[in-house]
Amino acid sequence: MFFKKIGVIGGGTMGQGIAEMLAVKGLDVLLVEQTPEKLDHAYSMIELSLDKQLEKWAITQAEKKLILSRIDKVTHLAELSSCDMVIETISEDLDAKKAVFAELDRVCPSNIILASNTSTLSLTELASTTKYPGRVIGMHFIYPVSKIDLVEIIRGLKTSEETFSETKRFVEEVVQKKGVMVYESPGFVTTRLICVLINEALHVLQEGVATPEDVDNAMKIGYNFQYGPLEMADHFGLDSVLAAMEGMFREFGDIKYRPSVLLKKMVRANQLGVKTGAGFFKYDKDGDRL
Amino acid sequence: MKILVINAGSSSLKYQVYDMSSETALASGRVERIGMDSSILVHEPHHTDETSEVSEILDHTTAIRKVLDKLTDAEVGVVKSIDEIEAVGHRVVHGGETFKGSVLVTSEVKAEIRRLFDLAPLHNPACMMGIKAAESNMPNVPQVCVFDTAFHQSMPARSYMYAIPQVLYKKHKIRRYGFHGTSHDYVSKQAAAVVNRPLEDLKIITCHIGNGGSLTAVQGGKSVDTTMGMTPLEGLMMGTRSGDLDPAIVPYTMSKEDLTVNEVNSMLNKHSGLQAISGTSSDMREIEEGMQNGEPNATLAFEMYEYRIRKYIGAYAAAMDGADVIVFTAGVGENSATVRQRVCEKLTFLGVEIDQELNKIRSKEPRYISTPNSKIAVLVIPTNEELMIARDTYRLANNAK
Repeated sequence: MFFKKIGVIGGGTMGQGIAEMLAVKGLDVLLVEQTPEKLDHAYSMIELSLDKQLEKWAITQAEKKLILSRIDKVTHLAELSSCDMVIETISEDLDAKKAVFAELDRVCPSNIILASNTSTLSLTELASTTKYPGRVIGMHFIYPVSKIDLVEIIRGLKTSEETFSETKRFVEEVVQKKGVMVYESPGFVTTRLICVLINEALHVLQEGVATPEDVDNAMKIGYNFQYGPLEMADHFGLDSVLAAMEGMFREFGDIKYRPSVLLKKMVRANQLGVKTGAGFFKYDKDGDRL
Repeated sequence: MKILVINAGSSSLKYQVYDMSSETALASGRVERIGMDSSILVHEPHHTDETSEVSEILDHTTAIRKVLDKLTDAEVGVVKSIDEIEAVGHRVVHGGETFKGSVLVTSEVKAEIRRLFDLAPLHNPACMMGIKAAESNMPNVPQVCVFDTAFHQSMPARSYMYAIPQVLYKKHKIRRYGFHGTSHDYVSKQAAAVVNRPLEDLKIITCHIGNGGSLTAVQGGKSVDTTMGMTPLEGLMMGTRSGDLDPAIVPYTMSKEDLTVNEVNSMLNKHSGLQAISGTSSDMREIEEGMQNGEPNATLAFEMYEYRIRKYIGAYAAAMDGADVIVFTAGVGENSATVRQRVCEKLTFLGVEIDQELNKIRSKEPRYISTPNSKIAVLVIPTNEELMIARDTYRLANNAK
């Protein structure tokens, strides 16, 4: 397979990051959102991210233009029929994702790999809505996509050997990140370990053991984390963390996955982190911490 | 014998065809935007008008096939059949310590170039794509690699070693390599011919000043020191590259501005030099224009640029205990009378005397710009790296027969 044009479905934080990273690597991107407004918003966020890199001398003005020129905005899945691979990265809602895969299965030629950036859901279940489940695979990117050179490649029960090897080649040779192979299991490796850490940090906070700043500094400075667990949760979105914990609690049935009460309370108060401007810390509209 | 010279970049490819019986170029051209659906091939045959064509060229192999189509075309072509091309010469940026001269391509040579990817991550992989593409299109034609670093392999250890723990040299081959070697080699040989003295007796300072720039001290035809280092970032101030700076600035800036390794690398390579100081342009023509209009930042950029060149000329005169010839070449060196004038007018302590009128002449010929009284001959010599590559290719392909 010659990977040149990649479809990215969903223009949220991860969709923006994946689309931008692919364009930086020289690939053409078709970015899909449900409405033109959402698309424009996603595109302007990518522009903002490139402007920040320009400010930091990471790219030049000409490179910024070239990168943006590789991203096309579309609102219909039907337009993805010409893509060499499609990466779905809408919110973690099983039914919505299943609907997307059923539609993609109809639109894309049967040899085209359909990947999901899911962090917790079952690939086998997503693939069940398709006629060609062998081409469905998980490709889990980590935030911030442009900086973190790791992708979890998740094999569902029916994922074919060829789909896996081509995906691994795409990850390691085309976008030049490290691919780790994991078999399907709730939360895979990254989400399972990091969400338990975040949940434990919430218990620590709840028990009044330390302030949010000190919890984060302890892990950031003490163990060389780029972000502390609480700031990391703010970036993921507290609703996503809650959904992941609830999913793992349901699947494993083990008490260690029970979401902290504080986490539930904050989600009910709509303090979801960066995207609402407030979580454990406060953020401006560009997502920079205040 | 007809020879195809290829200079492959990651998304571009330049080519030239030489007839070695007369050392004349029959055609040249370039393919740009390889990997995109609107790639451009510009073909410039010397017997008729240039043509260009936009089409989908997804890789280097297709690019070379399209080039060969043009070369054998009934109207714009320069050969009747591909078989007339008897050898292909490739420009390869980094030859490390292994390649001290040009070589015929073998599987060992390719393996070694691949091992050198670490030292030139942006350039060597592209050169490799060019070699593979030529091999698949012309399987039985000998291929030759000519390295940008090879000419400088004659430098003594006192020039190429950095004063850091030796283990870094042993483990990672961290040392000065120098670049533009083919150009420094070519213009120093030409210079000997122009002043009509044996190369072996001459001390020459060659100034290759283009978008990137380097100076080389050439003693007896051999490079004894050069301004570029392990990478092309060291030495002169360039269009967008910083050149020399205190290495402590790098970690300090990284911590103050919270930069990653990639960001600081890009800052020094793409956002520095003339561009950074002038704030407007990396192009010397625009810097000179700004200076004439009294633009303070353009003036500062020009002064820093010129001063750094002059400082290295002084250094290399000291390195060789004298100098007989100073050569200006490449884009800025061949075309900017102002840069040459300003560099040379404060070299009177070396006995340099510039003829203002000669300096102003624009020409494609090698020429003097110093007066007969000047103790050092100052020359402008248009560089021709492609011809140099063609010559080496011709020599090696003939020997192989």
